[in-house]
Amino acid sequence: MLSRVAESFFWLGRNVERAETISRILDVNYTRAMDLHSQRDGRSERLWRSVMHCAGFVSVPKVPLNGKAASDCFGYCAFDTENPTSIVSAVRIARMNALSIRSELTIEVWEVINVLYLYVAEQSLRSVLREGPSKFLRRVRDAMQGFAGISDATLSHGDGWNFLQVGRYLERAYMTARVLEAIDVENEPWHESQRLLEMCCAAVPFAQASHRSPEARDALAFIVLSQNFPRSLRFCTREVDAALHRLSRTPEGTFGNDAERHLGKLRARFDYTPIDGVLEDGVRAFATDLVREYEDLSSYVEDGYFPRLPVPV
Amino acid sequence: MLALQPHIAVAQHYDELYGADGLPRPQYAPLAATLGRLERDEILARVQAINTALLQRGVTFTVYADAAGTERVFPFDIIPRILTAPEWARIERGIQQRVRAINAFLYDVYHAERILREKRVPRELVYSSRNYNREMIDVDVPRDVYIHVSGIDLIRAEDGEFLVLEDNCRTPSGISYVLENRDVLKRGFPDLFRNYAVCPVDDYPSRLLDVLRYVAPHQSTEPNVVVLTPGIYNSAYFEHSLLARRMGVELVEGRDLIVVDNAVFLKTTSGLERVDVIYRRIDDDFLDPLYFIADSALGVTGLMNAYRAGNVAIANAIGTGVGDDKAIYRFVPEMIRFYLDEEPLLRNVPTFDCTDPIERRHVLANLDKLVVKNTNASGGYGMLMGPYAASEERERFKDLIGSNPRDFIAQPVIELSSSPTIVEANMVARRVDLRPFALYGRSVDVPPAALTRVALTEGSLVVNSSQGGGSKDTWVLQC
Repeated sequence: MLSRVAESFFWLGRNVERAETISRILDVNYTRAMDLHSQRDGRSERLWRSVMHCAGFVSVPKVPLNGKAASDCFGYCAFDTENPTSIVSAVRIARMNALSIRSELTIEVWEVINVLYLYVAEQSLRSVLREGPSKFLRRVRDAMQGFAGISDATLSHGDGWNFLQVGRYLERAYMTARVLEAIDVENEPWHESQRLLEMCCAAVPFAQASHRSPEARDALAFIVLSQNFPRSLRFCTREVDAALHRLSRTPEGTFGNDAERHLGKLRARFDYTPIDGVLEDGVRAFATDLVREYEDLSSYVEDGYFPRLPVPV
Repeated sequence: MLALQPHIAVAQHYDELYGADGLPRPQYAPLAATLGRLERDEILARVQAINTALLQRGVTFTVYADAAGTERVFPFDIIPRILTAPEWARIERGIQQRVRAINAFLYDVYHAERILREKRVPRELVYSSRNYNREMIDVDVPRDVYIHVSGIDLIRAEDGEFLVLEDNCRTPSGISYVLENRDVLKRGFPDLFRNYAVCPVDDYPSRLLDVLRYVAPHQSTEPNVVVLTPGIYNSAYFEHSLLARRMGVELVEGRDLIVVDNAVFLKTTSGLERVDVIYRRIDDDFLDPLYFIADSALGVTGLMNAYRAGNVAIANAIGTGVGDDKAIYRFVPEMIRFYLDEEPLLRNVPTFDCTDPIERRHVLANLDKLVVKNTNASGGYGMLMGPYAASEERERFKDLIGSNPRDFIAQPVIELSSSPTIVEANMVARRVDLRPFALYGRSVDVPPAALTRVALTEGSLVVNSSQGGGSKDTWVLQC
């Protein structure tokens, strides 16, 4: 497959996943913040700072304490075109990539992206906040989940689809790691575990698996180590690994390139470390380390598969 | 129902639907009856649904004049244009003849120059053509085919006869609208097709692929064909992606290709992969920075060398623009006589040559009655519609013609035929042209897939999409 086409599949997968995750994070926190709104203890501001962190704002700016935190942060994460990880940016980038590989996509896959793009382009922060952001966020999430289903059901599961999988699961793992980095389970174990599970769409699967109300340690173990939950770090990492091995045709458990070698070590870490070991140095340190690991992994994939071949002299 | 506004019963021009007696022509009678039965609101609601579908599918073009690079739906009118089987048969034969002659002309001007030596076409006109390409002299292109794909623009004159308005032998576009228009009309207005046997259009991509495979060098059993696009910002990108998808071949950009030892390769995730045939939708000037525009990022360095070495086929061939130069257009009937020893089946529009002093004087004296066209432009850019232009505009063209006579030709204003069209919820008469496409492989194939463009502005005779034109589904009847 053309390297450029492979790269577009990868970024398509990443940005679709990103738009979906950001919309869920905003939905969860916007509703939660409404419970905190009247309180003057700074919890609302802390909440929005953590949202900004999830959304990729590395040097978190001072969130204004004037009660405008919700609309400012929401605007930045949803509608800011300067912010490359906002919903509008992710949808635009996804659509650009889909457009450039349009001849590789089925009409159904293309339309789900294009229709969402046209919808998002018509929305404004003001109108969305006036009617409450849930409808807008739900529409984004539905389209992106629809994309996942339609692409699985209508595209051949060949190289293009595998690059889509790599992008999708790498982004999902990366975003989960950022969410872990942003929460504060040390100080508010119950609230923050609950928020973590909701942001990862894990409340029901967790309850079914553990049959109890969330406790920090169990919730963290579920999000990091669950074998079967499709948003756990372990699950996502395994899926990236599997897709890369299908692409290179190297047997699983061995490696043929830097990305696969890196993934092998990462998988072993999830497979052979108990939750207490994972959390030895605290959730935040663990998560920060993983965020870097996934960034490195992305570079290995990009360097390995999408280099521009040199032009002969 | 939609009432047709007081029609041009006494019109000077030909109407596609209504005969001179004011009644629908026989081939349109069932269509007119079906339309008459539909409620106005229902028609408008279905039109709206079609427009939404076109937008969602991304059947759009980019308007260059618009700084925002806005993507727009090419306006689609639901009232089809019908061509009877005998009408189409005449068009088909005329186009086959014309395309064979132009192809022979291209071979000739890049080889023995017989037609120039016998002074049937002026040598200086060919050599001064901006698209005559000296790099192509004595180059043998695969199967001697130069114009694999052409679009010949026809108009219908007052007496109902089809005339050739211009030839497009470089990278004519529009076929994607033909395919999409048919698809959305069948879904949106299935009832219109009742009582008609319309030739299908959807095998165009496979007919094109046949041509592209036929011209592959080396006769490999599985030639690797690609479509070369300038990329997603090109106004015809939708068409490029549609053709690649429907032919099942890669859609590539210049940066996806590399030339090694005079052979062309794709850069893939598993190494380099040989390319045999390039259906390019990039102009000559941008194809190879070594030969043409040096800082073009759209092309492929070394492509021309690979082409001249016979290692890759390029469709259309390089240098075909001399064949559709508007100053050379008026010699096409002469080419038909010279190369084929036949009389032209399709007539030309009378054309004045501004390099000829007598004709130029006539043109300058009659600018208010003539259409002036730039010989190298297309898409309706750089033209003057004399009778409708402001006097400053005519003065500007007077200066332009005086200083660069080779760049201009002039033609009398031809009254294009009209066809009923829905504009702002009313049915009104608007002018149309017709662009059939010809595919040249083993022989010249003219699929029954033609584009009807319609000038949506009242009284306008300019149908180009860049100038506010729209399109109609075009039905070629099977019998």
